[in-house]
Amino acid sequence: MHLLVVDDSSTMRRIIINTLKKLGHNEIIEASNGREAIDRLAKDRVDLVITDWNMPEMSGIEFVRSVRTSRSREQLPILMVTTNAAHDDIVAAVEAGVNNYVVKPFTPETMREKIQAVTAGVEGGA
Amino acid sequence: MKDHLIAHLVAATHEVFETMAGTTLRSCPPIEPSAFAPMANVVATVGFAGGISGLVTLYSGFAAARAITGAMLGMEAAEVNGEMPDAMGEMANMIAGLFRSKLVAEGLPCDISIPTVTVGSDFSTRYGSEVTRVLCPFEMGNEEIFVGLALTGN
Ligand SMILES: [Mg+2]
Repeated sequence: MHLLVVDDSSTMRRIIINTLKKLGHNEIIEASNGREAIDRLAKDRVDLVITDWNMPEMSGIEFVRSVRTSRSREQLPILMVTTNAAHDDIVAAVEAGVNNYVVKPFTPETMREKIQAVTAGVEGGA
Repeated sequence: MKDHLIAHLVAATHEVFETMAGTTLRSCPPIEPSAFAPMANVVATVGFAGGISGLVTLYSGFAAARAITGAMLGMEAAEVNGEMPDAMGEMANMIAGLFRSKLVAEGLPCDISIPTVTVGSDFSTRYGSEVTRVLCPFEMGNEEIFVGLALTGN
């Protein structure tokens, strides 16, 4: 499974990638904001997107909305990893097209469960 | 400063350090910052604005900042190099984010900013006079760090 990790913090990208590698995922690419992530999606194969919400240039929510305007990416699994944990935040994220939600700070176990939930049925899903 | 805001900030700080850095902090009584300015080399700040507005700031020395960064990334503190400012910004982001969630749950909707981080050895942070402040000290092993809350115009 090919994963795209989108976060403006290089620390958080590294923490997420360390976690993903421990969970057996090795094909991982990165982007530091929504605009870069759109470029990566256009060029690379991606089976699961893990994205932050608060980012400069283009936020995670704007990025997800943009992804969902493409017919071929209507079903692309998207997991949002964010500190925005209020009920209204989660509603807004789901309305934008997010499939599931991890609240920071998170444990590796939570990450594993949420990835499993969004990739059930995806080829090569862990 | 209202006590429940301080309690929320302290709880958020403990949870972020335990979950993301595997570090248990010992909290000490809050300080009135007019009488005390923390000596810090690394100052990471996240603003929040809305029904309540202000700043959450994480202050630490170089040694503590390297230890925190190493713990987050699973590396030795001595190996930490350029990673430290971003890591401290992300710690402040998560503390402010958890704090903000508690405010929203109490009916005080607000949004948080992207973190800003200052690193150096000869600077001080000042606020306008309309700011209410509190500093929460924490012991992390032999190091001391501080998490500050400043409220503006509330
Ligand atoms: Mg971010």
